[in-house]
Amino acid sequence: MKKAILYINQFFGQIGGEEEADFAPEIREGLVGPAIELQKQLGEDIKVTHTIICGDNYMGSNTEEAVNTILGFLEDKEFDIFFAGPAFRAGRYGVACGNIGKAVSEKFNVPVISSMNEENPGVEMFRKDIYIFKGGKSAAAMREDIKKMADFGKKIVKGETLLSAEEEGYFGRGLRRQVWLDPPVTAADRVVDMLLKKLNGEPFKTELPIPPVDTVPIAPPIKDLSKATIAIVTSGGIVPVDNPDRIQSASATRWGKYDISNMERLEAGVFKTIHAGFDPMVANQNPNVIVPLDALRAYEKEGKIGKVHEYFYTTVGTGTTQGEAARMAREIVEHLKEGQVDGVILVST
Amino acid sequence: MRLELGNFYVKDIVFGEETSYSNGILTINKEEALKVVMEDEHITDADLHIVKPGDRVRLVPVKEAIEPRVRVDGGPVFPGVTGDLMQAGNGRTHALKDCSVLVVGKHWGGFQDGLIDMSGEGAKYTYYSQLKNIVLVADTDEEFEKREQQKKNRVLRWAGMRLAEYIGSCVKDLEPEELEVFELEPIVKRIKQENDLPSVVLVLQFQSQMEELGYNDLVYGWDTNRMLPTFMHPNEILDGAVISGSFMPSSSKWSTYDIQNFPVIRRLYKEHGKTLNFLGVIASNLNVALDQKERSALLVAQIAKSLGADGAIVAEEGYGNPDADFIACIVALEDAGIKTVGLTPECTGRDGRSQPLVTMDPKADAIVSTGDVSQLIELPPMETVIGELESLARDGFAGGWWGDEVLGPSVREDGSIIMENNSMFCGDQVVGWSTKTVKEF
Repeated sequence: MKKAILYINQFFGQIGGEEEADFAPEIREGLVGPAIELQKQLGEDIKVTHTIICGDNYMGSNTEEAVNTILGFLEDKEFDIFFAGPAFRAGRYGVACGNIGKAVSEKFNVPVISSMNEENPGVEMFRKDIYIFKGGKSAAAMREDIKKMADFGKKIVKGETLLSAEEEGYFGRGLRRQVWLDPPVTAADRVVDMLLKKLNGEPFKTELPIPPVDTVPIAPPIKDLSKATIAIVTSGGIVPVDNPDRIQSASATRWGKYDISNMERLEAGVFKTIHAGFDPMVANQNPNVIVPLDALRAYEKEGKIGKVHEYFYTTVGTGTTQGEAARMAREIVEHLKEGQVDGVILVST
Repeated sequence: MRLELGNFYVKDIVFGEETSYSNGILTINKEEALKVVMEDEHITDADLHIVKPGDRVRLVPVKEAIEPRVRVDGGPVFPGVTGDLMQAGNGRTHALKDCSVLVVGKHWGGFQDGLIDMSGEGAKYTYYSQLKNIVLVADTDEEFEKREQQKKNRVLRWAGMRLAEYIGSCVKDLEPEELEVFELEPIVKRIKQENDLPSVVLVLQFQSQMEELGYNDLVYGWDTNRMLPTFMHPNEILDGAVISGSFMPSSSKWSTYDIQNFPVIRRLYKEHGKTLNFLGVIASNLNVALDQKERSALLVAQIAKSLGADGAIVAEEGYGNPDADFIACIVALEDAGIKTVGLTPECTGRDGRSQPLVTMDPKADAIVSTGDVSQLIELPPMETVIGELESLARDGFAGGWWGDEVLGPSVREDGSIIMENNSMFCGDQVVGWSTKTVKEF
């Protein structure tokens, strides 16, 4: 007999609605709310031993604490699989399922299965980390969504062959693997058949979908540079030598903001790079090669630019996902707007 | 141009008195065959084995595969390579089917070499586990490349071709069990029924990345790196005008056997006059410099347009850097108004999460994927190894390694192995055999 644990929010945990959204995490033995249906669908093979309940707002505003508390609950529990939700279109609930699911999967290395509607923001945030099945819009789809989660959970636990995301019904995790077609169809037949369809204007389906290109339109030029405030943002990993914000050397999720208002240039020994993707020798000897404060100060004196923004912003680009990079950029933009920055020099390495 | 391929279906291969073919049994006089191999004084050691599907045999390092054939009216099977230049694709060629000559290094392998398991879990990864194979395992005095990761494998590859011609010659005067006829009228002299169908070209991007001569595919003996795209008759491809090279991770390579049998060409022939009008083949290449990529793409699109193509299939021999040529060529064809489908393996990384092609373009909206070169494969020990198992870990195979912090070495003490699909011999079968695809999980 395999064991499972389910995560749900305060509403489905029968604590209460919005007024109870600050409910701190609790773990209960046995089945609460949707856990009853989940157990019914899992049948004899898997026993749901515990239900974890946490308020959506609590998880949203105290994420680290909530996650740590729940990981603590789980430390002495035996379980083979973890479920979260279904969260339907409830955004905060979806993000909570994703946050806890990702943490459980990383810490305990067990499969994590959730379900959300395609419009739930949790889908894009966490589809790469856990199995998120394509779910209904509201709790009316509860039974159906739980059945999908349970069926897939049983498949995993029994060691059955898992099919592709599309065939199983979960949102693809951005993970591509080779498979043998059953029944077998040779590439020669597939390529000629696809060409005939394309030639005849019939629908065809590529085997390698090209993701839509996410291009950003080029900004209009600054009209009068001599009055403009210019900031430097870099993914080259230049930080104060003690790296006070503990920005990672690769696959960064953190960024830093450092005051340069009283500096003419970045001095070696005061700043360095923590970027793991290139030879750091030159940048460590002269950090201005990545954060060109020396050159901008010269322009400032010559009147070419109005002024240099008081801070520079920095993270590490190597191995950093597009998603994390975009999030960090959105956060940095708020500071740039606040500082009434007109133009940014974005230095990559 | 009319090519008659006379087929002899080999049911079994044995060593015997006289190299001959009778009732499905191919008999090989081993001594005589080895004499042909040893004609090149650079061969220092050679032996022949027969391996069949189901045999508990692992072959590594595999360098080349060739179908034994003979040109009935005389002349080399590979014009400009194993003999004088002459027109390929016309006349009668006899072939021993369901069997191949495999060339295996006795000791030394390299980046471009591969592995074949004739049975067990590993057999599904290559086409050659389904064939009866005459295995030449040999060594040479090519000291200059013995410990190089990139090997031209010239002496061994040419020995394989000589051997294939020698074996093929035993069916020269026999009546084939099956006669396949490949014939296309000149493009401007076709009947209305053919002309009214959508016209299609097949663009073959042959491997040509090495600047130094001796590594790349050859067209009539000419290095594809020094070639501009050119129009070819499909019969030339099927009849020995092109031979495989000795560069690129093995799984994405096209062996000479692959090229001789090219399933996509055969399927296009089948459709010719029924659903499409098969114009022919545009032979292109995969040079590394950007201007060379652009020049080839421009010329391919121009030739296709000038020929009146409505549709095109583009196939690349390799991945990585060649993806740039592959995508550029598809884009150039689409921009010229030619509806195009691509044929390629992917490289998604060991975790499957990397971008599958080095470059991508929304215009490449129709691609058939034949496999994932980077997938990890773990296989148990095999009873017999022909060649040298250690080469997989030692010699810089594209899919093998000496050490890995997590996975350990590719070759373990008990003879079990862990490798990337990269080194499965011609495993991605881009020429069209592949029944693999890649899906998102």
